[in-house]
This record gives sequence, structure tokens and C-alpha cells, in this order.
Amino acid sequence: MLCFVALAVFLILSIFSAKYRPLARRALDCVVKKATLRPCDTGLDEEIKAASISGIMKISPGGASFLNRHFEAFSLLFTLLFFVSLFFAAQGLYNFIIYGNCNGFEGGFCIYSGVQNELFLKAPSSLDGVSAGNASANITFIEFGCYTCPYTKAAEAGVKSIIAAYGDRVHYVYKAFPLPSHPYSREAAHAAFCANDEGKYWEYRAALFENQADVQARGPAAFADIARSLGLADFGSCYASGKHEDLLRKSADECTASGIYGTPTFFVNGKAFAGPGAINEAEKEIKRLLGE
Amino acid sequence: MAIDANRLRADFPALQSSNAIYFDSACTALKPQAVIGAEMSYYTELSACAGRSHHTLAKRTEEAFEASRERIAKFVGAKPEQLAFTKNTTEALNLVVRSLDYSARRKVVTTPLEHHSLLLPIMEQQRRGVVKAEYMQVGTSGEIDESSLSLIGPSTALVAIHHTTNTTGMRAPLEKIVKAAHDAGALVLIDGAQGVPHSRVDFSRLGADFLAFSGHKMCGPTGIGCLVGKKEAFEKLDTFIVGGETVETVSLGSVRWKSAPKRFEGGIQNYAGAIGLAAACGYLSKIGMQNIEEHERRMARALLDAINSIPGSTVYGSKTAPRCALASFNLAGVSAHQAALMADSLSKIALRSGVFCAEPGAAALGFPKGAVRASLYLYNTEDEVRTFAETMGKIAKL
Repeated sequence: MLCFVALAVFLILSIFSAKYRPLARRALDCVVKKATLRPCDTGLDEEIKAASISGIMKISPGGASFLNRHFEAFSLLFTLLFFVSLFFAAQGLYNFIIYGNCNGFEGGFCIYSGVQNELFLKAPSSLDGVSAGNASANITFIEFGCYTCPYTKAAEAGVKSIIAAYGDRVHYVYKAFPLPSHPYSREAAHAAFCANDEGKYWEYRAALFENQADVQARGPAAFADIARSLGLADFGSCYASGKHEDLLRKSADECTASGIYGTPTFFVNGKAFAGPGAINEAEKEIKRLLGE
Repeated sequence: MAIDANRLRADFPALQSSNAIYFDSACTALKPQAVIGAEMSYYTELSACAGRSHHTLAKRTEEAFEASRERIAKFVGAKPEQLAFTKNTTEALNLVVRSLDYSARRKVVTTPLEHHSLLLPIMEQQRRGVVKAEYMQVGTSGEIDESSLSLIGPSTALVAIHHTTNTTGMRAPLEKIVKAAHDAGALVLIDGAQGVPHSRVDFSRLGADFLAFSGHKMCGPTGIGCLVGKKEAFEKLDTFIVGGETVETVSLGSVRWKSAPKRFEGGIQNYAGAIGLAAACGYLSKIGMQNIEEHERRMARALLDAINSIPGSTVYGSKTAPRCALASFNLAGVSAHQAALMADSLSKIALRSGVFCAEPGAAALGFPKGAVRASLYLYNTEDEVRTFAETMGKIAKL
């Protein structure tokens, strides 16, 4: 059974070193034979068994004896775990390619994001968007977010905390990232711009997050209800006119150019922070730049 | 005189460069620097061909080659004209079995214990309808049932037998077999691959018609072997591998072959190998084959005691018959391959596992699925046997 795992391992290792290629060939021969219900006669199974039991014997003879007695069961379990892991890794990679996140629509922690952050995220070229804090500050703190995204909502407390603590020394800019996979994402961004026109952006933003489930379910009706509750007289005409479509288009283009693949994504003086705990990492960077 | 194996080990470069415990000499022996140097000397000082060209280098090569033949022949108690060089024991055995004239007698008597290199040519000749093979009875103790000698009779052309088996290290009762064969008018071919390296073998006293052995199992190079034969026995062999230097004259209509042994040495020979093998004979002679035999007897006792002390172990072959320092064994509950692999992994002990190219023999001895074989030689020590015992003991506890 271990030949299946051995094949994968030696195939990968043989990319980096030719000495593993004969082992990969033997593993392949074994896999083909097992798949066609013939006995594997390459001896690779036995070599792996002997090597692993010998290794354990040097530490624990009792452990080696236990492993030897139950080796078939352990190798079956290990092989099953390998294939299950392989399936989830492949699924994550597929989601990452298609949706920009391992978990697809849901977003959340994705191991590939770490790689992506380093290699693919570029700071946006403009500071267009909704601002807060000190526009003249040396530290820019940009957020690409989505009002109907649960992860952007989860980071909101951290964003408000940073603005409250460092707003005099930091220039905060919010850029909408209208994700097609989030219900009413674009529409919510448009609604927030309309609220901004009447000076009630932050209140409207807070209400969008607070009523996120309702917004995701009812969209425009929920927007109108929030606007009504905040007394936004011109909201309806603004929203209906599509007044801020250009802004939204520009924001979407910036997202594409920056390589943004999920929300929220933060930039602190051009350095990207994405994935789980991004807001915490962004705060640490701000503190570092402030010398705290 | 007792061999100081610890001192001898310094002669073997392979032992200096690795800390392996080499217990696989039945497969191939390690080579001392003297042999390596001698073989290299052909390439650095000669590098010509013998018996063809007349320039100085060619003549020196011829001299070195023929001197090697003489040296090796002397080592096994034969005359130079009785020794034909081959690639190895396998080729030598094939030469006799394939080239003998079976027109008057068709039976070949052998045993199931033989190495495939002797068994398979006989079986192939039987498959072709050239011979009829019959097998002496062998018990699970590895001893030949001497009543089987009655198989040898007036229709027997050849009795083909081992000197020492590679499965148990035991010797065949050659005196009785040779007598029975000659009484019946049959020729005797001895596979000396395991015997010649480990004991004094005197072809002139053995009485056999042919003796085959390899260089590499006696500290010599690989790629060189010998077929020693009586002149009249060689005369009964048809040509085998023919080519350059096997003829006196040749025209499109006729060939006049050289006499043995040259008739059987077609093409450019392994001059380096022959010179190296001669050096190996010199090295072993200097130590003394009787001393090597005594060392092997001691090592054999230590080895058998070591294996027998392991609970659940089974040693194959007779418990009492003498053997060279070779033993095939199994440990209960651990496959032979796993035991050998783990011995290498845990303590760098080089063992062989399997059926040792003697599958019918393995079945006859009671290990059809394979066993572990430890085969020692002049450079092995009792300390190594102790480490072997400890390691196999740990493996047996699995």
C-alpha cells in the first residue's frame, strides 16, 4: 500500500534530484501491479517497511515491535490519510484558482494565500475611496473590503480600533472590492457611496455590517430601510441613478491590478496583509512604523 | 597459524572506506589492494593484446597472461595447459554441459542443490532433447543420499556436482562420487565456485575431469573464471565460443582448431582479470589456504553458535557436518528480506536474502520462500559475529 504514497513522494523529490528517479520508477511499477491485482515484486514495500521499523527500533524497540506487528494496518491508514489529504489539497487548489480562496465563496484561511501575498499582491496606485484619519500622515492604511463579506465584517472592529487609536497619524482609505460571489456586494458599495454623499457613510457602513444577513437576503430593500432609519433624504434617487458606477468600476480595476483575491485585504505603506489575522498583522505593522 | 583478520583488513580498501560488516563473500569477495594494483598494472603498463601482435607491448602482455595462467593453475594443483580462461564459473559450466558429446551416452546426473549456473544448462539440454537429467536424493539436512549414486551407470555421460554449496557451505562426498562416475565411465564436472576460495583444492588429487571456478569469489576480479580439465576430457568437448585465436588455420572450406585450452578462448581475453586473479592466488597462497581453512572453521562455529542462540531461528543444513563459514537461516515471524534489510539499516551488516540462485536447492533444504545467508571469509572477525548476533537478536524480537 505504501507504494502509492512512495510514488507521490518520490515523484516530487525526483523533480529536484535525479537519485530519486529509480525509486519513483520502482514505486510506479509497484502501483501499476497493485492496480492490476498482481503482486508487487519490486521489493520497495519491504525496503520501506525495513527502513521505518529500523528507524523506530533505534528509539524504541517496543514501538518497532508494535509497528512490525501492525504494519499493514498502519500503512493502509497512512495511505488513506494521504489520499484524503491529497483530495482536500486538490480541492483547495481548485478553489484558489477559480475563486481566489481555498474555501471558495466562503473565504477564510487558505495556505496558498501566504504565497500569494508575497508574490502577487501589489499596492494600489491611488488613494481614491472613502478616507478617514490624517490625509497628510506618512502612514497609509488601505482596506479593500466588501460590505456583504463576513470576514470584512469580522475585521471591522479592528479597523475602527486602529482609526480610533492612530487616526491622527494614519491615513485610512477604504476601497470597495465588489466581489461577484458575495450577494449584493456591488450594490452595497454603491449604497454606501450614496450615504457618503449625505455625510452618513460611517453610520451606514456600521448598519450594513450589523444587518449583513438581511442585506444579503433582501439587497436593495434592506439598503432602503437602512437609509430610511438614518434619515437619508436623497438616498433613493442616488441609488436609482447609478451615480457612483464610475467609482465602482475604478475600484474594481484597481483590485484587479493589485491582484486582490479576497476580502478584507490591507496595505500598510504598500505592504500587503491578507488571509486570517490580516487586521492584526496590519496593526502590528502600523505600530512598528510608529515606533511603538 | 591463526590468521590475524584485523590486520588483514587493512589490505582491503573497501573495508577502509566503509564500516560495513561484510557477510556476503559467497556472492562476491572483497578485493585486496594487491589484486586491484595488479589489474591496474595491465592498463597502466601494458594495455596490449596477447598472442596476436609481435611488438614489445604485445609480447609482454602475452608473457604476463601466460604467467597468470601458470600461477592460477598451480594454485589449484593443475598444469597450465589444463586451464582455459572463461568469463566466470557460469560460462565454464555451460561450456562443458553444452559442448560435451552425448551421442553415446545421454544421462547427466546431478543434484537439486546445484546453483542455477549448473542446473540450468543441464535443464536446457534436457529441454532440447540432448540429455536426460537425473537427480540424486538430498535430505533436508543437505546431505546427499549416497544410495543415489546408483543413478550413475553405463548410460551416464556426465556427473555434475558442487564442491561446496552456496546454500549451506557443506561439501559433497566427492571421492565417492568421482569413483562411482569413473567406474561407470562417466566424466565428472565440479562446480568449484564456493570450494576453491575457501579450501585447498588440488585438481590433480581430486580426480575429477573438470573443475570450474571464478576469480571474484576468491578475492580476484570480476569477469574472469577458469575451466580446469584433463587433456583427454577437453578433447571430448566440441567448440563453444569460437573466434579469434581459436584456430591454427582457417579457409572458407575448412578449419583446423587449436588444442585446448586455446580452442576455448575465443576473442580478446580479460588480460587484466587474469593478471588480477593470479595476484589473488598469490595473496591467498601467502596467507596459506590451510590457515584460511582454519579461520573459516572457527568463524563457522562462531556463526552457527550466534544464530542458534537466537530464539526462533532455524539454520538450514546439517547440524554436524563440517561447513565453510556460511549459513542460511530464518528468524520466526520476520521475512528473510526484512531481516537482511534491517541488519543493514541497524548495523551495516551486508547479508544476502532470497534463494541464492538455487531455487530447487532452497526448496529441498526447507526454505522455498527464501532465507538469509551470512557468508564470511578471511577478513571477518569474531567481533563482527558478535555484532551480528546482537543485531539479529533484536530483529528476532519483532
